[in-house]
Amino acid sequence: MSFLKLSQVTFFYPRKLKPALTGLNLGLEKDEITAIVGPNGSGKTTLTKLMIGVLQPAEGEIQLEGRPIAGYSLAEIGRRIGYVFQNPDLQLFCSSVAEEVGFGLTNQGCEPATVEEKVDFYLDYFELAAYRNAFPLHLSQGEKQRLAIAAVLANEPEFLILDEPTIGLDAYRKKLLEDYLKKVARLGRGMLLISHDAPFVNRMAERVVTIENGRIQSDSGRKGNAVYEA
Amino acid sequence: MAEFNRIAGEREMPYMKLDPRTKMVMVICLSSLALIYNTPDRLLLVLAATVGLLLIFRFDPSAIWGYLKPFLSLMLILFVIQCVFTRGGEVLLAVGPVPLITSKGLSIGAGVVLRIVVITAAAMLFTTFSSRDFILGLVQWRVPYELAFMVSIALRFLPVFRDEFINVITAVQLRGVELKKVSWGQKISMYRRLFFPVVYGAMLKAQQLAVAMEARGFRAYPRRTYLRRLNLSSADYVLMLFFTAATLMLIGINFTT
Repeated sequence: MSFLKLSQVTFFYPRKLKPALTGLNLGLEKDEITAIVGPNGSGKTTLTKLMIGVLQPAEGEIQLEGRPIAGYSLAEIGRRIGYVFQNPDLQLFCSSVAEEVGFGLTNQGCEPATVEEKVDFYLDYFELAAYRNAFPLHLSQGEKQRLAIAAVLANEPEFLILDEPTIGLDAYRKKLLEDYLKKVARLGRGMLLISHDAPFVNRMAERVVTIENGRIQSDSGRKGNAVYEA
Repeated sequence: MAEFNRIAGEREMPYMKLDPRTKMVMVICLSSLALIYNTPDRLLLVLAATVGLLLIFRFDPSAIWGYLKPFLSLMLILFVIQCVFTRGGEVLLAVGPVPLITSKGLSIGAGVVLRIVVITAAAMLFTTFSSRDFILGLVQWRVPYELAFMVSIALRFLPVFRDEFINVITAVQLRGVELKKVSWGQKISMYRRLFFPVVYGAMLKAQQLAVAMEARGFRAYPRRTYLRRLNLSSADYVLMLFFTAATLMLIGINFTT
């Protein structure tokens, strides 16, 4: 059973005649790294928003661990799937960088000492410790991106969806992110990457799905074994 | 927003192609009545008139729900505060000797909620014409261009602010916080904590917009020319006169009765 399963998913944006996604079938496993690639406007981000229940499909069904996603609350999905938005500004809402990283843990009832320890770890790892008390929206684009990733990773979700995670990161920070994501993957957590960064996708992904005009054009299959070609 | 304006424009019948200034007068009249009236029955009548107008302009009134939904908790809080703290009339609910809800409190509370609904619904008329026509209309009314542009930007920022708030609520829930299950006390404390960053974030965006405008030569020359001119038709004059006279009359009646 796939961790996330999309069956015949079609989605229309309001007042648009052309569907953003048409009859999509896709299964994502909990222990693999999948990348979705495709041109701008092909429906990649829309697809991820459907996977986390922010958007609802017009047709078809999405299942999370065998249950329709419509039956989960956003918080229940958020505890299982960590989602990093394409634009980090959309997910930074706290008054300080440290509060941002610890927000989810604090509100899920973790002990203050545990929260503090994890916040210190993620701030150090993503080299944000110097900005601990800074206002998140005052950071540079790359720093905001690292903070958004750190805030999601701190929750230790079972699966990660990262929409353009390397945007604004320099080569060194990209390498740090890659190392950390590989470490997360070794712990048996799966992830879905949306990226235009071809070298990053090649280094990270075990499976590459190509989307064009709201349809899956190709799916390399696990470890690059071609299983589907449109 | 532009897409919506285009669609709203397409749905407008030729006989309803009124000047944006006429629609502005309608919005001012309806909002003024909503601010002056404080009884639910009168506010309901203004709401009915507003919904009627929206239907005439082929605007789906159910869309108002989408605009109001993020502010439901705020409206509920205002309703409860007015209900509990306004004294007068018949006591409807009491805890021992202390009256908790009175008929006047209930009426004022319902009035506050209806006022917000009417003003939101009336503002929907602004979406039936483009922001360019809005500026042009104000400039032809001799409002300085800078001021007209600022008002238009402020109106454009309202849905942006709403979307920003929805994004924050979504992001909070995606961090595992079950907003529907936390107590009202926790909810209020969380909204209080989120309020400052959201407002400050909107201010930062406004600042960036100002820099972008300056960079593109905003106010570089003292005089501006316009490609198009808006012309008021006789229907526009009649409707403007009718709405202004009716509003002044209703306000007069309200203060004399």
